[in-house]
Amino acid sequence: MVREFNILITGVGGQGVILMSELLGKAAIDDGLTVRGSEILGMAVRGGSVTSIVRVGEDVYGPLIPAGKCDIIIGMEPSEALRNAGFLSKSSLVILNTVPIIPFTVSLGQSSYPSLEQVLEKLNSITSKIIKLDAAQIAREAGSLLAANVVMLGALFGTELLPLKIATIKEAIEARFPAKVAPVNIKAFDLGYQVCQQAAK
Amino acid sequence: MKELTISSDAPGERIFVLGNEAIARGAIEAGVQVAAAYPGTPSSEILENLAKVAKEVDMYVEWSTNEKVAFECALGASICGVRAMASMKHVGLNVAHDPLMTASHIRAKGGFVVVVADDPWAWSSQNEQDSRYVALQGNIPVLEPSSLQEAKDMTADAFKLSEEFGQMFMVRSVTRIGHGRSDIVLGKISRERRKGSFKKDPSLLVYVPRTARINKPLMLERLEKIRKAVNTMPYNKLQMADKATLGIIASGLSYGYTMEALKWLGLEDKVSILKIGTPNPLPEELITKLLKSVKEILVVEELDPFVELHVKAIAGDYNIAVKVHGKDVVSRIGELSTRGVTEAIAKLTKSKLPIDFAALDKLEQEAAPLLPLRPPALCPGCPHRGSFRAINVAAQRLAKEYGEDVEPIYPSDIGCYTLGLNPPLRAVDTTICMGGSFGLANGMARVVDAPIIAHLGDSTFFHAGIPPLINAVYNKANITMVVLDNSATAMTGFQPHPGTGYTATGDETVALKAEDIARACGVKFVEVVDPFNLKAATETVEKAMRFQGPSVLVFRAPCAMIELRDKKKAGEKVVPYHVDPDKCNPKCDACIKLLGCPAIIKQGDKAVIDALLCTGCSLCAQVCPYNAIVQE
Repeated sequence: MVREFNILITGVGGQGVILMSELLGKAAIDDGLTVRGSEILGMAVRGGSVTSIVRVGEDVYGPLIPAGKCDIIIGMEPSEALRNAGFLSKSSLVILNTVPIIPFTVSLGQSSYPSLEQVLEKLNSITSKIIKLDAAQIAREAGSLLAANVVMLGALFGTELLPLKIATIKEAIEARFPAKVAPVNIKAFDLGYQVCQQAAK
Repeated sequence: MKELTISSDAPGERIFVLGNEAIARGAIEAGVQVAAAYPGTPSSEILENLAKVAKEVDMYVEWSTNEKVAFECALGASICGVRAMASMKHVGLNVAHDPLMTASHIRAKGGFVVVVADDPWAWSSQNEQDSRYVALQGNIPVLEPSSLQEAKDMTADAFKLSEEFGQMFMVRSVTRIGHGRSDIVLGKISRERRKGSFKKDPSLLVYVPRTARINKPLMLERLEKIRKAVNTMPYNKLQMADKATLGIIASGLSYGYTMEALKWLGLEDKVSILKIGTPNPLPEELITKLLKSVKEILVVEELDPFVELHVKAIAGDYNIAVKVHGKDVVSRIGELSTRGVTEAIAKLTKSKLPIDFAALDKLEQEAAPLLPLRPPALCPGCPHRGSFRAINVAAQRLAKEYGEDVEPIYPSDIGCYTLGLNPPLRAVDTTICMGGSFGLANGMARVVDAPIIAHLGDSTFFHAGIPPLINAVYNKANITMVVLDNSATAMTGFQPHPGTGYTATGDETVALKAEDIARACGVKFVEVVDPFNLKAATETVEKAMRFQGPSVLVFRAPCAMIELRDKKKAGEKVVPYHVDPDKCNPKCDACIKLLGCPAIIKQGDKAVIDALLCTGCSLCAQVCPYNAIVQE
């Protein structure tokens, strides 16, 4: 029985964060688990910060992950991962897409963007378990830049920490995408999985 | 196997849903025949999902022009004996307040339920008001779910309860319910369909003073019956712990945070808990039983101290000596969290905190200066960007004639265009409520010596923009009123409205034009403007503002998201613009500093356009003084 497993997915509007949580939730239910989670829709239009929460297990009541209790953060974007560092503890794992998306406020001179080293240094001060990958490059290899989110899902499963079956998430992916693009997404998933497995070695 | 949906006739099966889909499912299970709403985050997906299956489940579903009309539409159906639902966000309930205050006097014939979505932390709202107080004032019983399963079950049940007691009911959702995701177990769908019939009954339905006097005592009698019945409703649950000195009363979603907090602190067997699913009226017998068994009470609830004040009153009425805590240790602002509740319980029980929250705070404080600002912004290709640029140029030019330091005033409204608040556009000076832009402008025009140009969106215009427009004509206010018509209720997810030519269920209908309405209302200067032609648009804005008396401009171009979707459907290619680096002057930055388009960034000392984001709208090419921006 799964007691409590918390996943936070974070990124920028347009990166497919919500879709990732929908796929994970669907797969979890098909695997017989109970799921709770939430997201902020509405103001999270293209370009804004987006986070989505997926929690599974019998001890989960609320829709939000308690501070310091996140098992895995999937950072679709480095600075957005750092924005959610308060959910981490020293046993948490961060899967980080290292490709930055620099907001227009930086061009306007209203804010600045941290270097990847700065992001990693801060995250490292909480947990040393960080898996880095270039999801855009891997998605391109799979056949579509749009599949970066599914690459990250593959990496998530590559950790082998999830109480979910790989076959179930693949079924969810195949059911969700039109037949024309489903194979690209399955390939993206597999490549993400492999990269994560290699990184763990 | 066919994928299960919210309309599947599959009792006992589990599906993964958004909270608003769970509420929609509840309405389907109850056999609701009429559902009406106006979009508003976080409530919109309730009606959206009903609209998708309306024909399949034999339900009439409409987007109404505003929440008052939605409420009245559902009430009318209920008076004629069928089950009916109105759904809206918390501030929408204010718009429906007028009929609501009298509706509760009417003995409900067909089950009548209003679903209200509150928005703690005002994620997508102008305030974080607590609808339970509206329910208290309006004598409306409230069901408040603690989970998505309960959101579905309570919605379905609310219609039965409404008919059983003859009283309208409210289901109070919050952002984390409506926009939560979870598995729910489906129930049975009622296929009963009633033929609506109207029975003349002036003493129940015609609210002359005598009718109010007849029905108020009857309403109070019904409420008294409900007050007794809530003690045995399954949504209220008392779990007594042996020798507990602390009792917790948790309402709605707060119950989940409380249960997790107790487990985190290792106190789950040491504290008695009363879960509240009916905050109005409260289960008094369960509350007194709990109050008598402990020394201290903690009321955990989001937003205002609603349950807390009632619990204190009950303790007084029954002379129970117990200390009642609530907002002294639990925040009145924003959403609750397991952490917040954990800290409150730890404080009262003098327990050690499960983790070092202060260290997490320190980390977040250290990380904060590194983080870039990433506010939601008007999309690349958004027509509002062109509208605001034209308004800025014309209004600032005109303001100079009033005096060197005079700035134009931009009353704004509720919608995507509120994002025009941010630099560099800075075209939003006030945002209060739906239609408030035109309303405020009416008063400002009487007292300030500056040009005033107010704007609202097309859906907002139909919702609440017409009465203040008529007011400006009637009272001869010298203001310019702009309708930013992007052919959608874009902010909430592109719902159709009276200007779009189709209904919630996709049927074709008339498409009303704001300019026709303005002319019919007696406005003498009315022009339709293309926001992507900056030169012409700027000239027209200036003409409108120089016109003596009220003037109306309709900026018309479809939302960029709709435009892209339509192009994709038609197989048309988007041709992005790019910057010729040889012509781009590094010292200029006009494209970036005048428009704030997310597709344009600075790389090195030159502007660069992200070809994946660019929609080819051409605004940047129009403002570039060096003709450095060209289409590929």
